[in-house]
Amino acid sequence: MAEYFVARGLPVPPELRRTPLTDWRRWSLIGATLAVLYVGVRLLDIDLSRANPAYAGTRIVSLLQWDLSILTPQNEFETFWDTAGGLMIITIFLGVVATAISIVFALPLAFLGARNIMTGNPVASAIYGVARVLFTVMRSIDVLIVVIIFSVIFGLGSAAGVFGLAFHNIGVLGKLYSEAVEGIDAGPPEAITATGATRFQVIWAAVLPQIVNPFISFSIYRLDANVRLAPVLGFVGGGGIGQYLFQTINLSQYNKAGLIIFLIVVTVALMDFASAQIRKRLV
Amino acid sequence: MPALLEIRDLVKVYGRGTRALDGVSLEIHEGEFVVLIGLSGSGKSTLLRCINKLVEPTSGHVMFDGTDVTLASGQDLRRIRRRIGMIFQQFNLVKRSSVFANVLAGRLGYRSPWRTIASRPSREDVALAFENLGRVGILEKAYVRADALSGGQQQRVGIARALMQQPQLMLADEPVASLDPATSHSVLRYLEEINKTDHITVICSLHFLSLARRYGTRVIALKGGRVAFDGRPLEIDERRFKEIYGEDAVEVEIGVTRTADEERAERAAKLLDVSAFSDAATDASIER
Repeated sequence: MAEYFVARGLPVPPELRRTPLTDWRRWSLIGATLAVLYVGVRLLDIDLSRANPAYAGTRIVSLLQWDLSILTPQNEFETFWDTAGGLMIITIFLGVVATAISIVFALPLAFLGARNIMTGNPVASAIYGVARVLFTVMRSIDVLIVVIIFSVIFGLGSAAGVFGLAFHNIGVLGKLYSEAVEGIDAGPPEAITATGATRFQVIWAAVLPQIVNPFISFSIYRLDANVRLAPVLGFVGGGGIGQYLFQTINLSQYNKAGLIIFLIVVTVALMDFASAQIRKRLV
Repeated sequence: MPALLEIRDLVKVYGRGTRALDGVSLEIHEGEFVVLIGLSGSGKSTLLRCINKLVEPTSGHVMFDGTDVTLASGQDLRRIRRRIGMIFQQFNLVKRSSVFANVLAGRLGYRSPWRTIASRPSREDVALAFENLGRVGILEKAYVRADALSGGQQQRVGIARALMQQPQLMLADEPVASLDPATSHSVLRYLEEINKTDHITVICSLHFLSLARRYGTRVIALKGGRVAFDGRPLEIDERRFKEIYGEDAVEVEIGVTRTADEERAERAAKLLDVSAFSDAATDASIER
């Protein structure tokens, strides 16, 4: 094949110069990947000898034998909100409130972090840079770590969970929102600027109508994600049903833990389904 | 009579050293219908955008009705801008909003930012919006989403929006470049009408010389950011045309007055031309 190109004085396409089996770059890439995996496995020292299938079997069975008593108050001091069902609802709202808080902060920050809005002078560009770095920092610290830090400030409980989750989510939503702002059609803002409108009026009349749908879509997506995250936050002191689950596991109350896990799975599945439906209808 | 618009030694150099405008000086008087022509990249869009300072000129001055636009900023600049309407090649409507909302947005320069969000549009503004929608013949589409309209209709919404400013000057940046010939004429006739009845001065960039001749009272040609021609439309002959557009350029007509019969005849003639490449025809031409 290559002769065809050589005979006509044309450059030979790289695809014809090498065959897949003789390409040394491909082989060296495969070799490097295998080497990394080998080192990793040796370092981890994965030990299967301590697995105890018989013991695990009885535990798994008890995870499925639900103790339904946790669905009702255990003593005269408890109310519905101390039961597994009540705690599940509280945990859902933990996600909802955290999302709401983060939307309030991310909304204005998103405009400060959008290059097409922050143009014109060095101050605007500087604010843009700061907003972007802020989003990245807030996003890159894992939620669990944020909640641990916040539980030091607020003590164990819902406050650490809500604010920690909100903090992380401002970073995620800020990035998503500001990218939606950067993706708008620049024509309408230009036209409204030409009518003599202020920068604020331009955003109001020509930018907002273009971003309402992506903003709602991203918000619902994050609400879904936050409600999914909320039950885990209790493990690190963020309150809600996670704290209860953590307790039951530590006390080896697997009949209770199984039911709690089931509640969480059902909630997450419902949330996932509802969020997908709403977002599908929006787009 | 003092000029409505006076442009002196206008220079615009973009970031990477492109000289989009290289010393443009012009005087434009009230009531003129100025057509800007020139190749893509000759500086037409930049010139139009320097007039309302959507683009900040590198040096030079733009005087609009006695005020220096290039020195204005903040509220002063917005006061000037609201007296200068502008329409665009891509119409630049907010696609998801209604036609009515788009037209009403043309009034923003007259409203305080606070009132934009806190109150409903005033009775006068609503009346003016309907009046302007009626003028461009799309009153019955007032509550339709802007992107449901055809290109020509969207451009008419653009004109209605600009008319909301009650402007003295109308800038039109390639307003018909994405429209078909018939629609182009309909849009340009609305511009002609506001020029004649409302005495709004129009500066409009166009690609087709035939349209420039038909609608312009004055033609200004830009070439490499400089004025290459400034005069009456009919003064542009073959030689001038080649000066503006380059030696290889051939003028293309956009049907102004041609009838369907003429078009059919022309198509037939084209078919004959093609047959000249067949063997028989080649032989015949060799004999000649």
